[in-house]
Amino acid sequence: MSIVTVQLGQCGNQIGYEVFNAICSDFHSTHGLCSKKENESYQEACKERFFSEEKTGVPVARAVLVDMEPKVISQTLSMAARSGHWKYDHQSHFCQKQGSGNNWANGYSVHGPRYREVIMNLVQKEAEKCDRLSGFFTVMSMAGGTGSGMGAFVTQCLRDAFPTSFILNQVIWPYGTGEVIVQNYNSVLTLSHLYQSSDALLVHENDAIHKICAQLMNIKKISFRDVNQVIAHQLGSVFQPTYSSEGASQYSKSPLGDLMESLVPHPEFKMLGLRNIPQMSENSLAYSTFTWPGLIKHLRQMLIANAKMEEGIDWQVRPPLPGHPVPPKASPNKALHFNTSIANLVVLRGKDVQSVDLGGFRDPALYTSWLNPQEAFNIWKTPRAFNKYEKSASLVSNSQFLLKLMDNIVGKAWNMFASKAYVHQYTKFGIEEEDFLDCFTTLEQVISSYASL
Amino acid sequence: QARRHQRAAACGMWPGRAGALPAAIGALCRALPPGSRPAPETFRLAKFNRPEAVRAGEWHLLPSKNHLANQPMSISVQGRILFVKSVLRYHGYGRPEFYQLPSDGSQGSRELLLAFSWLLNRINLLEQLLTANRVKIGDEASVCTCEDNLSNSWKDRTEIALERPLKRDVDVRYLQWLNGRLRFKWRSLHVDRQEQCKLLHKIHSYTSGCHMDQTIGHFSVTETDLIRQPDSYKQLLQLLESETSRLEAFLEWKQLEPVYCLTVFFSLQVKSRERTLPDEREFCAAVRTITEAVKLKLSDLKYHCAHKKNGMHGSYRLVFKDKRSVISKLQMEEATLKRELKRLQEECRHKLDEIAEGLVGVICIPPIKR
Repeated sequence: MSIVTVQLGQCGNQIGYEVFNAICSDFHSTHGLCSKKENESYQEACKERFFSEEKTGVPVARAVLVDMEPKVISQTLSMAARSGHWKYDHQSHFCQKQGSGNNWANGYSVHGPRYREVIMNLVQKEAEKCDRLSGFFTVMSMAGGTGSGMGAFVTQCLRDAFPTSFILNQVIWPYGTGEVIVQNYNSVLTLSHLYQSSDALLVHENDAIHKICAQLMNIKKISFRDVNQVIAHQLGSVFQPTYSSEGASQYSKSPLGDLMESLVPHPEFKMLGLRNIPQMSENSLAYSTFTWPGLIKHLRQMLIANAKMEEGIDWQVRPPLPGHPVPPKASPNKALHFNTSIANLVVLRGKDVQSVDLGGFRDPALYTSWLNPQEAFNIWKTPRAFNKYEKSASLVSNSQFLLKLMDNIVGKAWNMFASKAYVHQYTKFGIEEEDFLDCFTTLEQVISSYASL
Repeated sequence: QARRHQRAAACGMWPGRAGALPAAIGALCRALPPGSRPAPETFRLAKFNRPEAVRAGEWHLLPSKNHLANQPMSISVQGRILFVKSVLRYHGYGRPEFYQLPSDGSQGSRELLLAFSWLLNRINLLEQLLTANRVKIGDEASVCTCEDNLSNSWKDRTEIALERPLKRDVDVRYLQWLNGRLRFKWRSLHVDRQEQCKLLHKIHSYTSGCHMDQTIGHFSVTETDLIRQPDSYKQLLQLLESETSRLEAFLEWKQLEPVYCLTVFFSLQVKSRERTLPDEREFCAAVRTITEAVKLKLSDLKYHCAHKKNGMHGSYRLVFKDKRSVISKLQMEEATLKRELKRLQEECRHKLDEIAEGLVGVICIPPIKR
């Protein structure tokens, strides 16, 4: 039932805060659009999942905060406490007094092992508070320096200490035009290491979320806070309580287990993308109405055409006709038109969820040849509306969503590596060229597996 | 031989015996757990191979007989039939007519009756069901620390199971997918168990010092529930009464079991008389092969029994005790298992290396070292 969140680095802590905030405000929402009984079940499940009881009565987030500097953590702790509705356990954090330079290898090989025991003790404490530990949810950026390196190390430690628990990594894909010159190295190192330890990687791209803020939310000056709030909304729409099977009489007690089982049983395919519809500013929300057929139609096309949001979807892209094999995608550098899925999960919240027709998602043409839609497609639903959206649909997809992105990043990193640029920054702290090669190999294998769907 | 058959037939139809068979079947039905209880009439219909007997759910009977599911299994008829066939195959039932029964459940009540009777005898089905469904006051866990002498019997069983290999090509990725799902389900089970342990620990520690029996010292879940809701004793009483009547029926059945077995055997004899007798030489050769096999198995068994350590096996009441001695025991177990794991991993690595050497033009990439 309970999920322990590990917030890693500046990025992880800021996003983590927004996630708990979004969940808490949804908890208190008076626009549930369902019966009182339903709402109470929902709230109970939500509480058990993300918060623990304390004597003061204010729910305490089930979280461990980790960062090399104290600034972001102390901001996060005080912001939560000020809300009055929830807070963090002020003991449940780890940080150092001074920063440690922006270096992935330093984070992974030096700081990680040095502070491993302290950090794992904090995690253990949180885990013991749970009657039923559903698993771990880590939040971190992929291309950061020390934060990402440490994040990769901590994930490994989690896997070692909790070999049977479910581990989901939330990773933030950097802006394409990022400032850090070695961000591609960092990304390659982070991705390949996380792939070994966690069960699934749920990716959010900064570029995509930025566009959502600009075009859908109509925000003029987009801050990190805005981006993080969109991410938090999307995550909340997946992880708030749902009924995960037809005819279930209570909210799912294993959200992470259910997710993993439906999407990532194959160890080679762990990359998950997330889409949510509708997404708009609160002001516009009051004047909008939606129909389920419209929402589902858009969501399906977003999947097929690999669109990041509901505007600017390429409606020309169609799934291949039955009997016509998908043209072999020899090089993933060619513009991929049709996005083949392995498995999809749709989460529906709000009014009339029982009547929604999801036949379009069961089309075998959407899926790879070796898995049929009965096994590849899953639905979670609840009549309880989420965060003031009368109807809300989310898609978690294990598909070729991230193929092009991965190929880009690996390509760029490889070009740098071929000329040995900046490699000494890593070898200095124990990440050898051999290790780089292992990482490239792992990712090439993943890219190849996804390309051959 | 014909004279022996005549005598058996006469026994079966002896006037005094007339009531014995219905009594046996009645006792059998009453000894079965409620919810899996067929009407005695079903047996009579089955004997005459009437389709009503099949519909009446003999196929339903056998799965719940496997004493794992106390709830009705909500799978299709086809799935249920497949499951029943695989259970019988697992236990070594060799009658081809049974396996040839159609998977829509439209016929075969006599074959089902035969299979059921065979299973009843083969695995002491009734005793197993009575044990599995007995009323438990304490919290229980099932334990098995027996030495692993099962490896031989597994070999025999898989030989039967692998008779018919998959005819169509399956993408290996699909198999990997299924394997992954199985792994995840196992991990979810682990989460369930951990939760159960946690909650049991809470109850045991909160009620410590309350139990009259000082060797136990604390209440079980059922006992705690009885304290909280005293009216639930009525339910408990009902369960105990039901169990008592099942046990009484079981005792009755044990007396009358030979009558039932003779009837089934007799009906089988009637059927087999329809077949032609085998060639005498072939027959002797077959008997010789069987005798050899039995001798081998017997000596195997004797060896294992002589070397078998006395391990714990079965259900035990869970009692919360001081953890110190248990922790050191567990640590020793952990070390042993770790060594075993390492050994198996090495073995696996060697095998993979061997296979890799045999593959031409292929580069094998091991996972990232940690």
